[in-house]
Amino acid sequence: MTEPRRIELATLADGGLAGRFGAMASPCEVLVDGADAVELAALTERAAAEVWRVESLWSRYQSGNIVDRINRAQGQPIEVDPETARFLDYAQELYTLSDGLFDVTSGVLRRVWQFDGSDRVPTAQAVADVLPLVGWHRVDWRSPRLQMPAGMQIDFGGIGKEYAVDRALTVLTAHCARPLLVNCGGDLAASAPRSDDRAWLVGIDAAIPEVATPLIRLRRGGVATSGDAHRFLLKDGRRFPHILNPKTGWPVMDAPRVVTVAADSCTEAGALSTLAMLQGAQAQAFLDGLGADAQVIW
Amino acid sequence: MQLNDAQSPNALRLRLAAATLGLLGVTTARPAAADDEPRKWTFDNGLLFYKESGGRVQVIEPVVNAAVDLGNDRTLSAGLVLDSLTGATPNGAAPAATPQTFSSPSGRGKTYTTAPGATPLDNTFHDTRFAADLGYRFALTPTGKLGFGLHGSKEYDFTSVGANTQYALDLNQKNSTLNAGLSFEYDQVDPVGHAPIPLTMMVNAIKTGGASKSKNVKDGLIGITQIIDPQSLLQFNYSLSLSNGYETDPYKILSVVDSNAQPQYYVYEKRPDSRTRHAFYAEYKRFVFNRDVADLSYRYFIDSWGVRAHTVDLSYRWNFSNNKYLEPTGRFYTQTAADFYHVALFTGEDSSVHDASADPRLGAFNAVTGGLKYGQVLGNGNELSLRVEYYKQFSKVTDVPVQAATALSQFNLAPDLSAINLSVGYRFNW
Repeated sequence: MTEPRRIELATLADGGLAGRFGAMASPCEVLVDGADAVELAALTERAAAEVWRVESLWSRYQSGNIVDRINRAQGQPIEVDPETARFLDYAQELYTLSDGLFDVTSGVLRRVWQFDGSDRVPTAQAVADVLPLVGWHRVDWRSPRLQMPAGMQIDFGGIGKEYAVDRALTVLTAHCARPLLVNCGGDLAASAPRSDDRAWLVGIDAAIPEVATPLIRLRRGGVATSGDAHRFLLKDGRRFPHILNPKTGWPVMDAPRVVTVAADSCTEAGALSTLAMLQGAQAQAFLDGLGADAQVIW
Repeated sequence: MQLNDAQSPNALRLRLAAATLGLLGVTTARPAAADDEPRKWTFDNGLLFYKESGGRVQVIEPVVNAAVDLGNDRTLSAGLVLDSLTGATPNGAAPAATPQTFSSPSGRGKTYTTAPGATPLDNTFHDTRFAADLGYRFALTPTGKLGFGLHGSKEYDFTSVGANTQYALDLNQKNSTLNAGLSFEYDQVDPVGHAPIPLTMMVNAIKTGGASKSKNVKDGLIGITQIIDPQSLLQFNYSLSLSNGYETDPYKILSVVDSNAQPQYYVYEKRPDSRTRHAFYAEYKRFVFNRDVADLSYRYFIDSWGVRAHTVDLSYRWNFSNNKYLEPTGRFYTQTAADFYHVALFTGEDSSVHDASADPRLGAFNAVTGGLKYGQVLGNGNELSLRVEYYKQFSKVTDVPVQAATALSQFNLAPDLSAINLSVGYRFNW
């Protein structure tokens, strides 16, 4: 990515300090309860380094990294590093748990679906033409070797940011016993409540004009948000959200605008919010059935 | 439900949680369940061992510090220190060509003898010090913190009590912090064998200068800490200390020598009854390689006794792994002698000087310290540290009585001193 790799300190409305940096096309923030500016700056450096590391590892836009090598393998097997292997195992588990709705190979559908707010809905034939390149069941994954048909691609965009947030928090807790929070564009994780057992208060910007910014009270664990924001197509009065069903190649209709979930970790929250979105009109029922701590905006 | 009808929703949730845990790692997913209680107490404990070369002073010092977060930016803290000092300390007399016999301070007829050419050391030195402090700090305004403290210490012959207050004000969006502090201390010494009358001959009996002596010390400090950029900060402090009362060490003496450097007798030392100290301090701290911290500080000290001192301190914290660091440190210190410092007095000089002391700590010397600290944050978030320091003092011979200078030059009047300092610290939350 082209974001400048630097951190800065900012003063919050309540007089507290936040460490900030940009990563994964999102503004990221580090809050440390009770830390002075020097300690906060040092911890923000560490958090940023970890998020940037994960970003470089799996970015679709960076040539030469493991995702790029997999996507250009042209049918050849690729041996992956242990961290990527764990991530592929996780993706496979999510695929199984969602009965194929969560699929890291669905990115090629973006060749025909460009969610730019226009009315350019692809033809049924165009969608049918790329569908043979989608489907985890076509992938031969035997850790640490991955082999898939030429033309298929994988993309960790759906869950990579949440993982990076958890990783950054893990790195920080190894260095600092104070309560900490890491937030990348509304996907966040906290290590412990603030002093005096107070919850962290975080505004989630849903980026939807008529939807008020939900205020999250988080004591510890993770929060993640999935939403269509401005990414949709509008044709003949029908709204096509950017959540695609990899089995049909078509958007999941009647999905909520925004799903925000709290869980033990940001990654788990992200998986739950993404899976809920894929349920479309059943999103709320799905989350209720799992006993998930969630907020759904239609 | 669209998905996986074969599984109950809870089984699905459990599988997801298990898979996530597998991805993030069992140890790193989240803090252990024990953390569900808010962290309230922080304990900082340490054990320090200090030993000077040549059988000189040795100190063993356990330290316990506890702080409790009362919420709303209120903190209560308390500390306890127990010092056990043993060993020998220079009594102030100069070396001589013949054996020298001194009475111990008790005045009960006990004596000790120093070999020819050796620096006379009082080996009756043994003490235990107990010190405690209590502090309370709270937010007076959103940007200002006010603190109050009490402290006291007790040794066999010395009692000290004090109170202090500090104020810290954040300005400029916390990029600047102004600090100010005031403290008052009252010290009372009840010398073993009573206080001597200064500049009179050493006697082996109960002394007549009074059983109890006291002084009071008033300190003030102002400072500013300025963040220059996210990588570095600068700090300046000025402190002023006004001390009044009994400043003399009741156990220190001086030799009164003839032109052959032969001691004629010994007199008790005498220091001015007030001391004004000024200290200027500057520190620069910088993050380097997005990983380490380099720290450089300088202190200039000047007092009304004519002591001027410079200290330069350099440390580098190398965070070589996620939870371990090594921190080498180096310090250089130099001081000039006090105006009334004398290696010894020439015969008759003891009745003409107003003040005199041969305490090596008031003499001129340079000193270097090198140290290495290792710290590790353990899996449970507690922190363990180990530190070793080596100190070497290079004394400078000054203020030798001219009439006896040639004869005294045969002796090592200001022997070098080395010391080793080991400490172990353990910090945990409870």
